[in-house]
Amino acid sequence: MRGSAGRLGSPDARALAALQPALAAEQAASYGYGVAGAHLTGARYTEAVSDWIAHQRARDDLENLISGFGGQAVPAAAAYQLPVAVRTAAHAISLAIILEQQVTAAYLGMVALPDSQLRLYAAGQMQAAAIRATRWSDRSQAFPGLASAPQPGHG
Amino acid sequence: MAADPTRRVVLTAAAAAPLLLAGCKGVGALGPLPKPASAVVTLDHAITAEELMVARYQAALGALTGQAKITTVIGTLLAEHQAHLDRLRSLLILPPRMATASPSPSPSPPAVPTGHSQVIAELTAAERAASTRLTQQLLGAPPPLAQLMASIAASEAAHPVVLLQAGLG
Repeated sequence: MRGSAGRLGSPDARALAALQPALAAEQAASYGYGVAGAHLTGARYTEAVSDWIAHQRARDDLENLISGFGGQAVPAAAAYQLPVAVRTAAHAISLAIILEQQVTAAYLGMVALPDSQLRLYAAGQMQAAAIRATRWSDRSQAFPGLASAPQPGHG
Repeated sequence: MAADPTRRVVLTAAAAAPLLLAGCKGVGALGPLPKPASAVVTLDHAITAEELMVARYQAALGALTGQAKITTVIGTLLAEHQAHLDRLRSLLILPPRMATASPSPSPSPPAVPTGHSQVIAELTAAERAASTRLTQQLLGAPPPLAQLMASIAASEAAHPVVLLQAGLG
């Protein structure tokens, strides 16, 4: 260690700068799925719980990675301004789709890091999020995370 | 914000430089055939893989004419693969097939199975294999190309969801 882990531009600082936005997106998704799940029943509810757990696991992974790089995980907010107001099952599904798209995009910084393990992890998470988004929406995207997808709620 | 993944990867000079250098030192200095820059090879492999996926989907469409629902889905996914191919090709500033030392043959997909469920099974397996291969290849790619490849790998990982859904209908 050269005592420069926090210096701007050092490899660890670059890793941390890419890990924190991914963590923030996973924290927001963990919160959002809690809201979505409350408006879903049956198979959709089960799916929401399973996705919620996946985001919590990713959040824990990222917190551990951040600690490993000598950083401090930025804590989750107590509450989040959701991109859609959720009052029905259809709203809950729209929210899940948006959360997955945001998570996919949030891993783009990590997938550009020189560290192969971090790249592989980020690429795997982008795939998992794209699969979940497609399960909720029944539609695929040509460029998940990159696409300037129309944002419901901004119309 | 992430770097713009559409930024052009300027590869031509990197690929040509070893040839020029070797040429200045006479035959003895030639040594082994110079390899193209690894990013060129990575990109070329990704392009070849997408060409194969486009060919597979075109063949599947031809084999399934008249089955409205599944052909609509296959047409949508074909358009996404075509978009992948266009984006990847836009990054390569070299004539196609000049990038690798041994030119790869034009992709010829295997014969399309005739049954509706066999077509779905074959495309699903091809999507998963393509996504896995791209994930391995992006590990050595320059950052903007790695981001694009990760996005395409995610798209391909999600395609089986749509294919299998269409197969149930």
